[in-house]
Amino acid sequence: MYDLSLIETIVAVSTPPGSGGIGVVRLSGPAALKIARALFRPKETKRKFEPGRAVLGSIADPGDGRPFDEGFLLFFKAPRSYTREDVVEFHLHGSPVILEEIVRLAVRQGARPALPGEFTLRAFLTGRLDFLQAEAVDDLIRSTSLAQAKSAFRGVEGALSKKIATLRDGVIALIARIEADIEFPEEGRPASKKDYADKIDRIRSTVDILVRSYEKGKALGEGVTIALVGLANSGKSTLFNDLLEEPRAIVTPFPGTTRDYLREIIRIKDASFLLVDMAGLGRPSSPVEREGVRRGKKIAAESDGLLLLLDGSRRFSAADGALIESYRSRRIILVLNKTDLPEKTSMADVNCRFPDLPLVGISALKGNGLAELRKMIYDLFFHLIPADEIIVFRKRDKLLLEEISVRLLRAKGMILRGRPIELAAEEAREVVALTGYLTGEIRADDILDDIFSRFCIGK
Amino acid sequence: MASESYDVAIVGAGHAGCEAAVAAANMDCSACLITMHFETIAQMSCNPAVGGLAKGHLVREIDALGGIMGLLADETGIHFRLLNRSRGAAVQAPRAQCDKSRYRLEMKERLEKTPGLTIYQGIVTGLIVEKNRIRGVACGDGRVISAKAVILTPGTFLNGLIHIGLSSYPAGRANEPPSVELSEAIQKLGLKTFRLKTGTPMRLDGKTIDWTVFEAQSGDEEPVPFSLRTEKKLENKVFCHLGYTNEKTHRVIRRDLHKSPLYSGRIRGLGPRYCPSIEDKVVKFSHHPRHQFFLEPEGLNTSEIYVNGLSSSLPYDTQRDILRTIPGLKDSKILRPAYAIEYDAVLPTQLLPTLETRPVDGLYLAGQINGTSGYEEAAAQGLMAGINAVLKIRRKNPFILRRDQAYIGVLIDDLISKGVEEPYRLFTSRAEHRLGLRIDNADSRLSAYGREFGLLSERDFVHFQKKEKRLSSVLAYLEKTKVVPERKDRISLKEYLRRPDIGFENVLEYGPMPEALSPEEIRHVVAEVKYEGYLKKQETEVARIMKMDGMRIPAGFNASLIPGLGREAVENVAKHKPKSIGEMKKLPGLTPSDVMNVFIHISTRNVPRGTSRGKMLLKDE
Ligand SMILES: Cc1cc2nc3c(=O)[nH]c(=O)nc-3n(C[C@H](O)[C@H](O)[C@H](O)COP(=O)(O)OP(=O)(O)OC[C@H]3O[C@@H](n4cnc5c(N)ncnc54)[C@H](O)[C@@H]3O)c2cc1C
Ligand SMILES: Nc1nc2c(ncn2[C@@H]2O[C@H](COP(=O)(O)OP(=O)(O)OP(=O)(O)O)[C@@H](O)[C@H]2O)c(=O)[nH]1
Ligand SMILES: [Mg+2]
Repeated sequence: MYDLSLIETIVAVSTPPGSGGIGVVRLSGPAALKIARALFRPKETKRKFEPGRAVLGSIADPGDGRPFDEGFLLFFKAPRSYTREDVVEFHLHGSPVILEEIVRLAVRQGARPALPGEFTLRAFLTGRLDFLQAEAVDDLIRSTSLAQAKSAFRGVEGALSKKIATLRDGVIALIARIEADIEFPEEGRPASKKDYADKIDRIRSTVDILVRSYEKGKALGEGVTIALVGLANSGKSTLFNDLLEEPRAIVTPFPGTTRDYLREIIRIKDASFLLVDMAGLGRPSSPVEREGVRRGKKIAAESDGLLLLLDGSRRFSAADGALIESYRSRRIILVLNKTDLPEKTSMADVNCRFPDLPLVGISALKGNGLAELRKMIYDLFFHLIPADEIIVFRKRDKLLLEEISVRLLRAKGMILRGRPIELAAEEAREVVALTGYLTGEIRADDILDDIFSRFCIGK
Repeated sequence: MASESYDVAIVGAGHAGCEAAVAAANMDCSACLITMHFETIAQMSCNPAVGGLAKGHLVREIDALGGIMGLLADETGIHFRLLNRSRGAAVQAPRAQCDKSRYRLEMKERLEKTPGLTIYQGIVTGLIVEKNRIRGVACGDGRVISAKAVILTPGTFLNGLIHIGLSSYPAGRANEPPSVELSEAIQKLGLKTFRLKTGTPMRLDGKTIDWTVFEAQSGDEEPVPFSLRTEKKLENKVFCHLGYTNEKTHRVIRRDLHKSPLYSGRIRGLGPRYCPSIEDKVVKFSHHPRHQFFLEPEGLNTSEIYVNGLSSSLPYDTQRDILRTIPGLKDSKILRPAYAIEYDAVLPTQLLPTLETRPVDGLYLAGQINGTSGYEEAAAQGLMAGINAVLKIRRKNPFILRRDQAYIGVLIDDLISKGVEEPYRLFTSRAEHRLGLRIDNADSRLSAYGREFGLLSERDFVHFQKKEKRLSSVLAYLEKTKVVPERKDRISLKEYLRRPDIGFENVLEYGPMPEALSPEEIRHVVAEVKYEGYLKKQETEVARIMKMDGMRIPAGFNASLIPGLGREAVENVAKHKPKSIGEMKKLPGLTPSDVMNVFIHISTRNVPRGTSRGKMLLKDE
């Protein structure tokens, strides 16, 4: 019933951090082999990846093709692997930096970093670990989701978790009301059916908005839009692919590569943004480019925020200056790119000219400075996401929310049809448990606490 | 000395002590119940009532196990109500007002008539312990009583301190001496104590109340007994009356708040939130224009009236002024003032699930001493302590009820695993499996145990078995009999009964049942049908949890190797070395996800290593 996320391919360093000798990076999931192929060059070029055979070769960045380590690749074909999925392992020399780099590259190729314990979890889910009876699995998933949710929400004071917390408080208040009616029948009047129904409707409307946001997110509907602007060849498409963690846009060394615009959802922590790549906004040299610039300008004007790219390997030009001037009153981050190349424009240069604008230096090619950029994007644009536009982007969360909605509807139906109130309470209690799986937080005594603080009860 | 030696000694003939003593004696042990004063045996310290939500459930469970509280409440009840009649079976519970003095006398008589039970009037001042094993108790009069097991049930008496306004005096209950030496003796054993507080309202002279202004409440027309063994017809003999405070009352309370020991900071113990004093209600819910109270007779042969809802620790003068603001009570006379009491309780996390203390072998604690409040909570613990003390003496397996089996299980598990901060009262919402823990199935859940321990007579048990037969034959009949209601679908009577607006009377329109059922039995059948889906779900849930709990943790298990486990969790696992997941769950400082983490970790190690790669593959976890 819940999203097992087995469609995703996961990757992680499988040897304890800092240990010398050999290091292992493991991929599991349907795309494991495809991703491995992109990163690994067998020594004997014709060599096939046969299950169970160690293949000698080198690891290279598919971006520039330069190998940076040698080692073995081991392929375990589903279902004869630890997780019963396709599993690929790289056995390498084990410097943590190199291992992390491989994980990063794999992520760029579409893998997702594995959560703690997730390989084992998959082994459960695929039935590889069969000591559990089938029905225990559901329980396990929920509980493990709990651990996952916790790590996903850890340290993030995000809007979704706040929203869920509010939702949970609402349900607890509802239960407290029901329980107060049940436990203290001698005290005053119980709430009416309509009271209960209204309360439930209010909670459900929030839940349903969240559920719909998932579809919305997938359909590239509304959202907070961030446009990538800059002169041609400044590295917009490279950065676009970086932030997307997927090689979506075409990148070439030639200016004017991108013509039409591209829109994709990127995720930073618990927030989603719509990122738009477009043609360089310099002087067009052909009718196609002219149209590209026209569209680009329109998009930039309509977007909620801008990332303005500058090419650090070239001298700051009048065109760069003009571009910044025309957008400086907007919500904007200046991004000095290509800092890996010999410096023609420095951070200080830019900062002197535009001391009031946020600035970050990166290398889109090497991936340097991206964490800082992400943080700046989050900090600057996050609050633009209207409360009702919070986007649920994990399928698991959406399924849990749907389940919550169904149960609330059921509870309401029970109350309206005059079924015993304690059954509605069962549904509502289940809802609280489900919110726990979303946020990773379960506290038991909440309900009684709530009763005593809300109702004057007892003798 | 031989005659001075017993199997079990019980200290304090309150609700816990009486239940424990009778259980031990009925299990064919020699038992000695020592209590301060014979005239206060089974005294109801506070309200003259037994039962209510969750509490009534407890009494039913006590009864199903062969305990006595239900029989006595039925015997001495003068006003009976089944609460929540309009709701489902799981949240219905009986409540009765009892004649307080008759309750005491009936209990005393029952104790005296119980073979194997000796009662002794004395004050226990010392505990005799050798090598962490209890040997007996010493009384203030110099007598020493040896016993293989000792159950302490001293209620609110340990270092009791009564407050009325800003004056206070040591007492176990109004005008009864506190137990100071016993509290010291307990602490000397290494048991940690803490302070709790509770309160009771004033008693008024019924002759001085103008009854005409209050709304009378009568009992149920068809009273439902607590005990399935009660045969006599129950009768309501009194009315209760309902009244309200008003703004004037609240002004008086606010005026004198500084004279309250609670609000002036003199009371340190924590009081129960569900039993707030009237000053608490006025302060915390200042927007409420009025608070309700009930006038309840304390018995048939007395004019004392208990003012349910006006518990207070304000001084006498303020209490009198409060009453003057309430129409109908203007001229009423206070016979006994309201008061608050602070007392020592023992941290219940130091107990085993049998209620035996961890540090001292053979020493059991039950009742208010464990941080609970309420007669029923006390009686339930007394019964369990009594049974377990005897089982231990006989070297038999302990008797532990699970949370899904009984409210008694919920109560004891909450106490020993979570501890308490305020006096603990049971609520139905504390039970995860509320729909299965009903008054109508208490006997199905528990009577087999009662019989096993010899607490239920052969006769009562046969009675129970016959009832079970009747119920299952009716349930089978409902399942197999098909009908076509409203000329629509052909469905079983059971499916028909499951419909929201259909009751048992509608089912009877299709013909008589194979067995005639009592209203009580009908309640059971209806509940089983209406709750069926939920009950099944809970059953699988319980089976799942039990299976998981049963998973063994291998010796030498090192929690520090599991990434993501908090430091506190690692330390607690290292310290307590749980043998199973179930045991580990009960440790303090472990969150559900910690437990899950360990579970996954251990499970993977239990997997047969089919491949030689097993070891390496597990490294990343
Ligand atoms: C002022 C007050 C207000 C209360 N209010 C409420 C309330 O609002 N709601 C509620 O549910 N409950 C209330 N209670 C609690 C209720 O009375 C108790 O929960 C219940 O009686 C506890 O039962 P017990 O068997 O543990 O102890 P008790 O009923 O207190 O019995 C203890 C017995 O032990 C005896 N004893 C004590 N020390 C010794 C000794 N050293 N040697 C020999 N005998 C000894 C005493 O004489 C007494 O007979 C109140 C109690 C008091 C005193
Ligand atoms: N060394 C270096 N090269 C980069 C960096 N970022 C982008 N490049 C290279 O610069 C070239 C242009 O990059 P693109 O991402 O296509 O630039 P763009 O801004 O999208 O260009 P147009 O679509 O033509 O407007 C490619 O050869 C990239 O590999 C960087 O940080 N360092
Ligand atoms: Mg481009």
